[in-house]
Amino acid sequence: MEFLAATTLSDALAAKREQPEAVPLMGGTDVMVELNFDRRRPPALLDLTGVRELDEWSMDGDVVRLGAGVTYTRVIEELGQALPGLAMASRTVGSPQIRNRGTVGGNLGAASPAGDSHPPLLAAGAKIELASVTGTRTVSIDDFYTGVKSHAGRPDELITAVLVRSARGPQQFSKIGTRNAMVIAVSSFGLALHPDVKRVRTGIGSAAPTPRRAVEAESFLSSALEEHDLWETRAALADSLVREFGERVKAAARPIDDVRGTAAYRLHSLAVMARRTLGWAWADYAGGTA
Amino acid sequence: MFGQRIRRVEDPRLLSGRGRYLDDLGHDALAVAFVRSPHAHARIVDIDVSAALAVDGLVAIYTYDDLDGRTSEPLPLLIPHPTLNQGRTPYPLADGEVNHVGEAIAMVVASDRYVAEDVVGLIQVEYEPLPPVVGLAASRDGDALVHADVPGNVAATMVQEVGDAAAAIAAAAHRATLSLSIERSASMPMEGKGVLARWDADDESLLVHTSTQSSTSVRQAIAAKLSIPVDRVEVVTPDIGGGFGVKIVHPWPEEILVPWAARRLGQPVKWVEDRREHFISSAHERGQLHEVEVGYDDDGRLCGLSVRFWHDNGAYTPYGLIVPIITSTQLLGPYKPGAYRVEFQSMYTNTVIVTPYRGAGRPQGCFVMERVMDAIAADLGIDRAVVRERNFIQPAEMPYDHGLMFQDGRPLVYDSGDFPASLAKLKALVGWDEFDSFRAAARAEGRRVGIGLGCYVEGTGVGPYEGGHLRVETDGSVVVSTGLTSQGQGHQTMLAQIVADELGVEMERVRVTTGDTRRFKYAVGTFASRTAVMSGSAVALTARKVRAKALKIAANALEAAVDDLEIVDGQIRVKGSPGSEIDLGSVAVLSNPLRYAFDAGAARATQFAGPVDPTAPPVPEGEQPGLEGTDYYSPVGSTFANGMHAVVVETDPETAEINILRYCVVHDCGTVINPMIVEGQIHGGVAQGVAGALYERMEYDDAGQLLNASYMDFLMPYASEVPHIEIDHLETPSPLNPLGVKGAGEAGVIPGSAAIAAAIEDAEGFAITTMPISPSQLFDLRRRHCER
Ligand SMILES: Cc1cc2nc3c(=O)[nH]c(=O)nc-3n(C[C@H](O)[C@H](O)[C@H](O)COP(=O)(O)OP(=O)(O)OC[C@H]3O[C@@H](n4cnc5c(N)ncnc54)[C@H](O)[C@@H]3O)c2cc1C
Repeated sequence: MEFLAATTLSDALAAKREQPEAVPLMGGTDVMVELNFDRRRPPALLDLTGVRELDEWSMDGDVVRLGAGVTYTRVIEELGQALPGLAMASRTVGSPQIRNRGTVGGNLGAASPAGDSHPPLLAAGAKIELASVTGTRTVSIDDFYTGVKSHAGRPDELITAVLVRSARGPQQFSKIGTRNAMVIAVSSFGLALHPDVKRVRTGIGSAAPTPRRAVEAESFLSSALEEHDLWETRAALADSLVREFGERVKAAARPIDDVRGTAAYRLHSLAVMARRTLGWAWADYAGGTA
Repeated sequence: MFGQRIRRVEDPRLLSGRGRYLDDLGHDALAVAFVRSPHAHARIVDIDVSAALAVDGLVAIYTYDDLDGRTSEPLPLLIPHPTLNQGRTPYPLADGEVNHVGEAIAMVVASDRYVAEDVVGLIQVEYEPLPPVVGLAASRDGDALVHADVPGNVAATMVQEVGDAAAAIAAAAHRATLSLSIERSASMPMEGKGVLARWDADDESLLVHTSTQSSTSVRQAIAAKLSIPVDRVEVVTPDIGGGFGVKIVHPWPEEILVPWAARRLGQPVKWVEDRREHFISSAHERGQLHEVEVGYDDDGRLCGLSVRFWHDNGAYTPYGLIVPIITSTQLLGPYKPGAYRVEFQSMYTNTVIVTPYRGAGRPQGCFVMERVMDAIAADLGIDRAVVRERNFIQPAEMPYDHGLMFQDGRPLVYDSGDFPASLAKLKALVGWDEFDSFRAAARAEGRRVGIGLGCYVEGTGVGPYEGGHLRVETDGSVVVSTGLTSQGQGHQTMLAQIVADELGVEMERVRVTTGDTRRFKYAVGTFASRTAVMSGSAVALTARKVRAKALKIAANALEAAVDDLEIVDGQIRVKGSPGSEIDLGSVAVLSNPLRYAFDAGAARATQFAGPVDPTAPPVPEGEQPGLEGTDYYSPVGSTFANGMHAVVVETDPETAEINILRYCVVHDCGTVINPMIVEGQIHGGVAQGVAGALYERMEYDDAGQLLNASYMDFLMPYASEVPHIEIDHLETPSPLNPLGVKGAGEAGVIPGSAAIAAAIEDAEGFAITTMPISPSQLFDLRRRHCER
């Protein structure tokens, strides 16, 4: 196995062009596991840990440009205000060791339906920045996940950053795991209120072949909130509304039975998490803190 | 020292990274990797190594055809039992057929592990798949057979009966039947197995380091299998990172193959198991299905109990029937069953072998008996603790003979215990009588909480024997060795405490070695919570012997009577007469008359040193030089420790997540040598009990693939899952041994599933009959119960 160590982004992109089958290596918390279990033997590894450009985040107006190599630990410590949903999700990832190594870019690269950054990024309406020697483009998170563990990046491209607007309203994340720490989600759910545009967005994890939004549930809730003037009044949500939202989130999921839980349990827990996260987020919003 | 919270002498070394585990040894050794079967059941048609031969660094590839002499025979069946008439054991390398995923087929020796694994990847094995038998249902169907010559997949059927259970049940005022099952789990020590062998060609001898629970037996096995005189083989255990039962099995195929290859190649050879290998090629446990019929009177007293169960023993039976025998006898716990009949069948499946894991068949038995108690209580509307009290063996009935045969082939006779007192302590500790109002208050807030109990009796300290050797050096330090091994339990500390007290020396002066056949040749091993009872008693007896010898020599030197002497802090002195004393080191000097001297201490013992009686031999008649001794302890029967756990759980009404709010333990292991170590053992045991109740299972698919063979999906509990554990001790000393101890190693794990199932049942209001249970499964149960 060849080991390519890039020190600049342009080197990395050139290497990726040269050898599109080279597997990018960021924190390695997915890649090394796969190699160790002999799930793949790529001809080459492209180590990105030395590429400084990927390691930073910055603000461009109210948009956070989160470099693909920023670790969960840094998201938690530095971006709790701007990206509360992602920070919440990051807190649930693995263990301190994994959070110190693992990156949001790696999570996107792996594009596992169980990845914890996907629901909050879907809910926030993030954009993914992809780069190659021929240029840089951005892809909406809505179009990013293309199949089981596959994404819209081309073989000659690298994920360089995630662009997320800093939160305008409350965001929540909830995850059901098989134990309290170091777990892959049985199911997870992210929710973001966007009062500025009077929209609610969602993200479902571990309950379909790809991470996905519950689009129909979002429209249902968004229009119900508008219809009853709730964005302005910030009045309490009717139980029936919250319940119906939960049911519609559930309807958006396509889970399977596996060793972590049954499809029926995943559906049920999604409805519960949708209700709970909406309840928490709305309480925040009603409290006027956001 | 005895009875005190002494910090473990092992810890500073282990915690500061100075431990030496198997993989820390033998950096000069060749490395081994194995080709292991990807199929649960298959015939091996062809093994093609041609693509592998060119790899740089390859030293050798061995298959079954290379095995010679007794290594080509099946591995031993360790504990033969007359009813085990279809025992089967594997070959060190598969001979034409594989019976579980992970069975070793070829052994690769190479310059390092990387090369060895690359070679493994290049060896082509052609298989003809056979139908796999996975799970007890498939095994009982018998449509497909694991071993073509074992009809119905039944390794053994065993029946024990006291009284006429069927008649007693039929005549009882009330009857119930229960179907219960427990899933597979496994020991999962932090350090897997590992073997390092060095062959000394000049001396024609082997020095083997292995991560085992029984070095003396591995030594015998290697000598027998390799046809080497046993005095040419020594087996040493380095630090061991946990065993929990899986390392009592011996010899593992690798414990034969690695020394065999080292001799053949004339070079040191080492194999260290990786985690996946541990999952698929070591051993699992639990895995039973029980059908119970019980008859009881209006007060909830048992009249008759009949249990039929099926035990999944995996592909082979190298450890005999020990696990199901223990289940079938220890199921009875602290209760009098009335008439009792138990019948079990030990069944083959195309899965990893099943051998004892901490608790060793007891968690299953305890789960069954405690479910029975709760079912009776529910049926009659009697408090669950009261039903138990009514069925307890009373203290006045000790020793209590159940009329059954135990795992050691001896009668099942409880030596001691005060079960009513233990339960009273537990009820007070957990607040049993106040729980009803707590539950009601929680319900009113929309919360679901429940409480459960689990009581058990554990046969500990089984024989046949252990021994100890003790020597006082001329500097007054004391070196002790015992043949059984330590896997991190704190044996060095506990044994040093005993010696310090018995001999009258400071504990810091005592150094203990375990599991090194160069130091001690006769031993059985570490299992069945037996170290404190067996080796503890043996070193106590040894220390007494050496003490007597020391006093005799000192009496002579001090011109005093033996009875007037005492030993305090290593000084032998005349009681009540300060000033006249001699230290143990000097006594050691006096015990060993010398011709040569290398230091001042020895100079005092040479032939020209002191006044000499020219008419007496330098070593008195009937004595031996040196202040040392050896003694053994061999009891007529096992000791029986007991304990009771109470658990409070809360279940989420929506997500079905299960949370342990409180975990209380009352524990009776007889006299406590070191409360800190006993509590540590309980903590670890409870963690494994919680694991077996809520997290750990072996997910086999129908093809016999273990789907969760890594720590990603095999869920070990972390600190975040293990509750705070509240402990109270009761000490009813065993009359069977000089120390009154009963063993504590497995205690914490046994009633975990029983108590947690009971608590969930109490919270949910429907019966819990299968463990472990996950939120997803609890959710399914809820749906089934409201659909009904
Ligand atoms: C013990 C353990 C616990 C875990 N717990 C969780 C958890 O709770 N939640 C969770 O979501 N995940 C968990 N994971 C998985 C993993 O930590 C995360 O997916 C993490 O985000 C991966 O990031 P990384 O930087 O380590 O990625 P890497 O392993 O380096 O890469 C992951 C994938 O992304 C690709 N990739 C990396 N960088 C780029 C790039 N710049 N452009 C294109 N592709 C790229 C890689 O080729 C690879 O396919 C866990 C892993 C372990 C080992």
